[in-house]
Amino acid sequence: MEDTLDYVGKPVPRKDGPEKVTGRARYTVDIRLPGMLVGGILRSPHPHARILNIDTSQARRLPGVKAVITAADTAGVKHGFVETPRYPADQDPLATDRVRFVGEEVAAVAATDPYVLAEALDLIRVDYEPLPAVFDPEEAMQPEAPEIHPSHPLVKEPFSNIAGKTETQWGDVELAFEMSDYVRQDRFESHLRTHGYLEPQATVASFEPGGKLRVWTSSQGPFIKRAKLARTLGLPYSAVRVSKAWVGGAFGGKIDLFSHEFCAALLSMKAGRPVRIEASREEIFTAYRHGQPLILEIKTGVKKDGTIMAQKIRTVNNCGANRGSGVVVIFLAWGFVMLPYRLPNLKYEGYAVYTNNPIRTPQRGHGAPQVRFAVESQLDMIAEELEIDPVEIRLKNARQSGERLPNGDNVHNCGLTQCIEKAAEHTRFREKYGEKYGRGRSQPPQTNEQTPSGSIRRGIGMGVSAYFGGSLIYPNSSSCVVKMGEEGGATLLTGAIDIGQGAETILSQIVAEELKIPVDEIQVIAADTETTPVDIGAWISGSAYVSGNAARVAATQVRRKLMHLAAEELGVPVEELDMAQKSVYMVRSPEKRLSYRQIVEASIRKRRGDSIIGEGHWRTMRDEPTHPSLASTKGRWSENYAFDVQVAEVEVDIQTGHARLIRAVTAHDCGFPINPLLVEGQIDGQVSMALGHAFMEELLMKDGRTLNPSWLDYRMPTAHNTAISEYIDVITEAYKKDAPYRTKEVGEGYVSAILGAIANAIYDAVGVRLVSTPFTPEKILRGLGKLT
Amino acid sequence: MKRLIELTVNGELHELAVEPQATLLDVLREQLGLTGTKEGCGTGECGSCTVLLAGRPVLSCLVLAMECQGQEVTTIEGLSVDGRLTPVQQAFQDRGAVQCGFCTPGMVLAATALLTENPRPSEAEIKKGLEGNLCRCTGYNKIIEAVKLAAESFNQK
Ligand code: FES
Ligand code: FES
Repeated sequence: MEDTLDYVGKPVPRKDGPEKVTGRARYTVDIRLPGMLVGGILRSPHPHARILNIDTSQARRLPGVKAVITAADTAGVKHGFVETPRYPADQDPLATDRVRFVGEEVAAVAATDPYVLAEALDLIRVDYEPLPAVFDPEEAMQPEAPEIHPSHPLVKEPFSNIAGKTETQWGDVELAFEMSDYVRQDRFESHLRTHGYLEPQATVASFEPGGKLRVWTSSQGPFIKRAKLARTLGLPYSAVRVSKAWVGGAFGGKIDLFSHEFCAALLSMKAGRPVRIEASREEIFTAYRHGQPLILEIKTGVKKDGTIMAQKIRTVNNCGANRGSGVVVIFLAWGFVMLPYRLPNLKYEGYAVYTNNPIRTPQRGHGAPQVRFAVESQLDMIAEELEIDPVEIRLKNARQSGERLPNGDNVHNCGLTQCIEKAAEHTRFREKYGEKYGRGRSQPPQTNEQTPSGSIRRGIGMGVSAYFGGSLIYPNSSSCVVKMGEEGGATLLTGAIDIGQGAETILSQIVAEELKIPVDEIQVIAADTETTPVDIGAWISGSAYVSGNAARVAATQVRRKLMHLAAEELGVPVEELDMAQKSVYMVRSPEKRLSYRQIVEASIRKRRGDSIIGEGHWRTMRDEPTHPSLASTKGRWSENYAFDVQVAEVEVDIQTGHARLIRAVTAHDCGFPINPLLVEGQIDGQVSMALGHAFMEELLMKDGRTLNPSWLDYRMPTAHNTAISEYIDVITEAYKKDAPYRTKEVGEGYVSAILGAIANAIYDAVGVRLVSTPFTPEKILRGLGKLT
Repeated sequence: MKRLIELTVNGELHELAVEPQATLLDVLREQLGLTGTKEGCGTGECGSCTVLLAGRPVLSCLVLAMECQGQEVTTIEGLSVDGRLTPVQQAFQDRGAVQCGFCTPGMVLAATALLTENPRPSEAEIKKGLEGNLCRCTGYNKIIEAVKLAAESFNQK
């Protein structure tokens, strides 16, 4: 008998909505503690320099200054996004003898007010000896380039500044190229973009008498922050408590440890008072961690019918002054290449290269947008050459359910073919694509913009992407506790953090479903390293799956206890009972029922005070020891993969070169959508972000300095820059009560396919093939031969 | 040198000693503890600090507190009466127009001001009314839908 679902799969409005629309939601920047000081950071003005001396004496003497710290005050422990034997931690929380990028943290001050703080930072004297610097990754690889860090000892080529290399292959690429009917090689480049979270990076730290460090910080997971803070401060984990504040957007930009977090903590320890550090928007643009521009060289061989035979790929990542997540991106780039399409032969190498730019971090998609832009563009180039339509070539190569990936993972349910077909059908892709519609045909504009219609060309394009859902990185797993309340509601304790994606709502829905308690009556206590169990975090695309299953298991335990006790009380076997509306009833005579309130009372009476608590745990790939090797890609990566197809319709003005996204259709296999309203929100947000990346946003840097460190000059989409966003859910999983299920990721994959789709649509509209992002009027006009 | 000003915030009269360079945003957040008003940039680019000054939306990070002497300010905390959400707040909640929520107070106030002035805005007018407010999470579509929905319930009253 299929269970009817009451709470999951339903567009339940967010639980945190009322708090947020009334301004009551408390973010890190809203926390006020008695005696709180304001902290700030002195940053390097040089892209590369030796530090000869730091003199803080004048700053220390300034009235109102309560603490000043430099590297000399730290425990000397390094940290890094990746901390493995091959890639040990390489970042100092405060620079020691050298700075390697403009904005690197050199000293920090805590003062009684922002005015004193500014003066104190001014009074710190640092003597630098500037060193030669290098900013372009391919220049930095040259043997004679200035050395930022020694090249990785295990990389044998004579390149400089290699932070890490990923290398893998299968099959016989050269032979496969020989057997191909058509082979081509292209180079694609992507540009520097940033997250653009609205809430600035901020931390409040309070070192309390007795030795407990309390921390609130804008993050994507409190447990990883606790681990890194404790280690760099030389404290046991138990002495650090990171607690919840709402997070005003993150998109990958708030995962690993940031110096301001370390400094707020150390300043509080020194001053004996709470310290708040809030980054200015300018600091975020100039000194914080952005996404990662990739250079991809792709050689692909295909059969006449479009079957992909082999790919040879070389990736170069400009990874900034330290390793950051640069060595993760070159690993992931491999993964995002091999996921959606069958690829019998591959040779892949990726280099992460140090440059004198700020350190890099994941940005929504973590390499997938760059990779899919390249692969999807090239696939259309191939299709055109072979005179196959873009839909056909994708269908030909799409992975199918149950297929084993070259790394040994199984894709399980894979709705990619269905996604391609549905997206094509929904958008009437085949009718619109090519000569009949696009490709230079004059079109009346769809928008009510004041554009002379004679110059508008319309085009349609398709892109495909796939994404993993959870991998094994500290803290690896999630646990949840569900406890019954005396009135028959329940409380969920979870370490998950809601960064806007709706974690608290989704987990509540799962508990509500398992227990048939309305979502409103599920209270959530979240994201506190002390009072809530461990959680994998909101940055490995496994939140809904890993934490969701932990919540489900915990609720299931409660469910069993409720059922068994009710069976005992009613004197019937459990099999004859079911639950609804906060009570257990007999299926054959539903008037025989016990409310949860009665059951909890009975449990306390009969089970020696058992007030009915359940616990649940989940770890993806249960027996796998750890994440796959970043260097060799060996080892399992994930146990569920999401697939999506996006179709872009664009308008290009051949007079001005302006292109715009008019409509985006996302057909996606997201497993089971726990909350379709939130899934839509994730898709819309990603389409918008991709639109920004495609047409508007670029962080411009010269010699390591940011030229446009404000939203006035770094243009993010506004209410005027929207596209119609439509969704087609391809549901490949059922939600089964009491049974594990595979929700798939929805937060990162849908920013990726669309980028390639847009590039392909521009080509369809005006015949201009763009091989680098962003898609500026200049590039389009150049492609049209109107600019030289 | 601090100066004394009078400010009516959400219907309550306050007498405040403010620094000459303090913005209205500083005073609301730091002195009055009204942290519902957000600071996304501090330089007039994001709209998250939007409040109503004499009923008109302003960027409180660009307004000096001293200039507000004797005026009335409405912040996000002053919108809902008796814990009931306003039509705009309710529509944001129902339509999924809220994600991280950091832009939300500013958006809600900008939308409220728009609908007070123009109860039947066209889509273009809604976009115009919200153009100064950045949202990174939602891509705006659901926010625009929410404002349309709120307009309907405004007009039914
Ligand atoms: S904080 Fe005022 S506009 Fe951004
Ligand atoms: S909801 Fe996050 S910025 Fe708008």
